[in-house]
Amino acid sequence: MNVELVGRPVARVDGRAKVTGAARYPADDPVPGALHGFLVTSTVARGEVVRIDPSQALAHPGVVAVYTHADLPRLTVPTFPYIKGFIPLQGTAVHHAGQPVAIVLATTLEQAREAANLVRVDYRAEPPTASMDDATEPPHLPLPFRGRPNEITRGDAAAAWEAAEVRVEARYSSPTRHHNPIEPHATTAQWEGDRLTVHETAQGVNLTRSVLSTAFGLPPDRIRVLAPFLGGGFGAKGPVWPHTILTVAAARLAGRPVRLVLTRAQMFTLTGHRAEFRQHLRIGATRQGKLTALVETTTAQLSRTEESIFNESDSSSTLYDCPNVHVRQEGVPPDLASSSYMRSPETTAHFGLETALDELAWQVGVDPVELRKLNHTAVDQETGSPIAGKRLLDCYRIAAEAFGWSRRAPRPGATQDGDEHVGWGMATEAHTFAAAPADPPVTASVTVGADGRAVVRIATQDIGTGTYTVIGQVVADAMGVPLDAVTAVIGDSALPYAGVSAGSATIASVTGPVDRAARAARDAVVALAVADPRSPLAGVPADEVVTAHGHLFHVRDRARRDSYRAVVGRHGAPVETTGSLRNTPGHSYGAVFVEVRVHARLGSVRVTRVVTAHDMGRVMNRRTARGQVLGGVTWGIGHALMEHTVHDRHTARVVNANLSGYLVPVCADAPAVESHFVDHPDPASTALGARGFGETPITGVPAAIGNAVYHATGRRVRDLPITRDKLL
Amino acid sequence: MRAFGYTPVRDPAEAVRVARQTPGAAFIAGGTDLLNLMRDGAQRHEHLVDISGLDLASITDSASGLRVGGLARMRQVAEHRSVRERFPVLAEALEASASPQVRNMATIGGNLLQRTRCGYFRDAASACNKRVPGSGCPALEGWNRGHAVLGGSEHCIATHPSDLAVALLALDAVVHLLGPDGPRQVPVGGFHLRPGQAPHVDTVLRPAELITAIEVPRRAAAVRSRYLKLRDRATFEFAVVSIAAVLELRGGRVRDVRLAFGGIATTPWRSPEAEAVLRGEPLTVAAIERAGRVLVRDAVPRPHNGFKVELVQRALVELLSGLGGLR
Ligand SMILES: Cc1cc2nc3c(=O)[nH]c(=O)nc-3n(C[C@H](O)[C@H](O)[C@H](O)COP(=O)(O)OP(=O)(O)OC[C@H]3O[C@@H](n4cnc5c(N)ncnc54)[C@H](O)[C@@H]3O)c2cc1C
Ligand code: SF4
Repeated sequence: MNVELVGRPVARVDGRAKVTGAARYPADDPVPGALHGFLVTSTVARGEVVRIDPSQALAHPGVVAVYTHADLPRLTVPTFPYIKGFIPLQGTAVHHAGQPVAIVLATTLEQAREAANLVRVDYRAEPPTASMDDATEPPHLPLPFRGRPNEITRGDAAAAWEAAEVRVEARYSSPTRHHNPIEPHATTAQWEGDRLTVHETAQGVNLTRSVLSTAFGLPPDRIRVLAPFLGGGFGAKGPVWPHTILTVAAARLAGRPVRLVLTRAQMFTLTGHRAEFRQHLRIGATRQGKLTALVETTTAQLSRTEESIFNESDSSSTLYDCPNVHVRQEGVPPDLASSSYMRSPETTAHFGLETALDELAWQVGVDPVELRKLNHTAVDQETGSPIAGKRLLDCYRIAAEAFGWSRRAPRPGATQDGDEHVGWGMATEAHTFAAAPADPPVTASVTVGADGRAVVRIATQDIGTGTYTVIGQVVADAMGVPLDAVTAVIGDSALPYAGVSAGSATIASVTGPVDRAARAARDAVVALAVADPRSPLAGVPADEVVTAHGHLFHVRDRARRDSYRAVVGRHGAPVETTGSLRNTPGHSYGAVFVEVRVHARLGSVRVTRVVTAHDMGRVMNRRTARGQVLGGVTWGIGHALMEHTVHDRHTARVVNANLSGYLVPVCADAPAVESHFVDHPDPASTALGARGFGETPITGVPAAIGNAVYHATGRRVRDLPITRDKLL
Repeated sequence: MRAFGYTPVRDPAEAVRVARQTPGAAFIAGGTDLLNLMRDGAQRHEHLVDISGLDLASITDSASGLRVGGLARMRQVAEHRSVRERFPVLAEALEASASPQVRNMATIGGNLLQRTRCGYFRDAASACNKRVPGSGCPALEGWNRGHAVLGGSEHCIATHPSDLAVALLALDAVVHLLGPDGPRQVPVGGFHLRPGQAPHVDTVLRPAELITAIEVPRRAAAVRSRYLKLRDRATFEFAVVSIAAVLELRGGRVRDVRLAFGGIATTPWRSPEAEAVLRGEPLTVAAIERAGRVLVRDAVPRPHNGFKVELVQRALVELLSGLGGLR
């Protein structure tokens, strides 16, 4: 029999193509006759465009057109997943600095960029509000977003808080942060009559298609969206942004294909961000640390045109057993660009909750791990029904043991090594993964050719996480063929339907249909073999045929064998099957333990050791799963210690819109990470026992670091990032 | 980025001549700063004179001192044996700068002439007196966490970002220049200018003038020298606070000390008064703390950078007590 590939640390099938440059990303392939687009963006944050003079730009060599709101046809503003509330170049109002006000088309990128500088725009500018602190209006409760209310009430939290034996009250805050995938957003739009092809840096080819369909009033079947590889998205490429729509519109006006690539600076205003966030938490508990009340009010940055809140408080309302809960997610709209989802939207609110639990643990004198076990819930806090397959308690045990948590110093500030205070901290990790939309169901097709090779087709994406590889593993196992006999074709909206690669939904929604299609292909080939008098397996009951290594065997007499290649070859036509399956959302969990060292005199914080344990049902590929842990931990270090976007208080412009001013961790900031997995199939899974996982690791990291800093120094920093000025 | 002319040159005199004769010309060496500024529209040049091929990259060590060609690469200098043995502060400052990739490209001359990292300066759409004289200084009332607490004016409070210059300042190095009027020499301490009324002028360099070499006088005490750089991540980042120190002790007393500071001032900063506090005294933490207080006596903290005043004093204790063997 085949040794199962699923679960093993199989190397990425596209790894070599990526490191040799053979992998073609959406902006890589030249499109004959394509013009280069460049956006002219607003220098002011609030007001109106009064006049645009493109004459100098039009006189610049190579410039073909400059389009403004006067030129563009009126388009329909799509709703979610178009996050913005308006399309630029449809009117004169300016809602944030960096908003596109014109698009320049030229023969070369350099010409387009220079001409964009030469477009003269006059504004009637008004003083903007650049931060939540400066907003004149009080925070308000926005309408429900995607069916989720912004206020959740369970029991009587206010009364329970008043009556609690022990109380913790604290305010936590996080600044604006940007996704900053290494690959900038890029769109190439090509019209042929009323058919549209778009090469797009998209986390969801079908999502992009549906948004363009609405905006341009075009039936979806006339639009094809291609995204074979992605250089990271982290949510920034989940929604569709204005530059995509504007590029498509410009290509239609110009009658030529247009390619547009955003600059790094433009990515700080045009593709969403994690909103600035404030959190007021009140936690009531018994003297033993059992939660009795949780009252939380959060305030997130909204924009003038978009009211949605993406910094979700799921953890506060569902992660622990607590009878009395009141969560209110409020917002304030400054004159800034709209925020959006960013890897693990829970992370911001989770930081406050997991820090507050640490504060509670110290207050009641209970070990932070024990406190979390005491408040563990085996049932859904909203419905009361059991959570199938939840193994969070195993995560605490595994990670605590591996870390050596039992040797933790009992007091803060007790351990010094040379010039440094040493501290240990931990936090729970939790993430709600999404389901693909139910209609149409996610579908995969598998085609077996006369060469015996299998091609699996599905309109999902590999956003760098390893989809190509895992799909291949699933097909290889289901059919009994080697991994290199499987080719995955994805990232194309013309393929069988799949949803967006966001919300950790890919593996959870895609592997079930792929497995079904592959099993159907196997069964079809077996049926052909046993019905074919020329086959050594002729007449064998189908259920007595096993498959392995690309061959078909009689289960008891292995000498009677055939192969995929021979069977399909004799059949004379490829065998094609499909499989469909719906999935449901759910949760993945984990525990993260960290050690930090804080320089006593200089306040420098180093994260020196990290141990994680995660429960995401079955682990499909240990190597790609570990990749998610490494990425999440590293990003969590960035969140905790450095990342923040700065808006100028007077102009509402981003002051650090580049990777020199917006710091992300470098290798020297990232310690060795020891990752463990419970690896137990989830009985409720429709994905071979797996659950959605990718965004889970990171959620607890900022709090674990902050808790470790407290343990090291006795200093509690509630405002991220924890820079040295807060520790002097 | 606009189209620009380009002339590679082969000898220093030619470089100066072409630069003087060509309107809107600038030298380009490694290009690691210049090209970013041009791409971002923060700086414009009609013509680039490529000096990277000039024969000015050698490093020589003699009885009088070290001479480093203006076009020596940062990496080459950091790896040079004499530099490592006789002027460790210099090697440390270079190795704490940028990344290996940048250090392979970037030159010594270009390093001294790199421009400030102030976010407003690098955003072509912002006001900035250094970029557009008279347009205003948004950093004064805006985001100034990285800005100077010493040497600023009401027109500009940007820091000079070079680590190398800080180390060279502690070593009393001299910059050798070649211009249309011939060669001249300027001590590093007089090379960078405080913003005053004219923040757009960073240095005393005249039009078409070329940095041909840096000379570092031989000083036995420089063997005991060190560079401490504090920043917001472990590597590949500019200094929040940095200090270059050369310390000479005799019998537990400070015979001589040279201190230069980065990150806290508008230019690489030397404090003769702070040095005077220590000179001739026994090296103790209390004495270093006194010197630190003298250093920051005239500091003007802004809303976000006040912590630098405290941090630089602590960093001074950290560095000198380590260098002087107090720990
Ligand atoms: C990502 C990044 C991180 C960095 N981090 C640091 C850091 O931590 N510490 C630090 O000190 N620096 C840092 N730097 C700055 C870097 O050291 C400088 O960009 C580099 O030294 C400039 O040298 P260059 O040869 O590339 O100069 P160029 O970019 O070619 O030129 C810079 C300027 O100097 C002029 N010029 C160059 N050579 C001469 C000469 N011989 N005579 C006259 N004029 C000349 C040019 O006309 C131009 O105005 C960083 C740079 C980058 C890009
Ligand atoms: S500090 Fe100097 S460089 Fe920065 S904005 Fe002000 S004038 Fe410009």
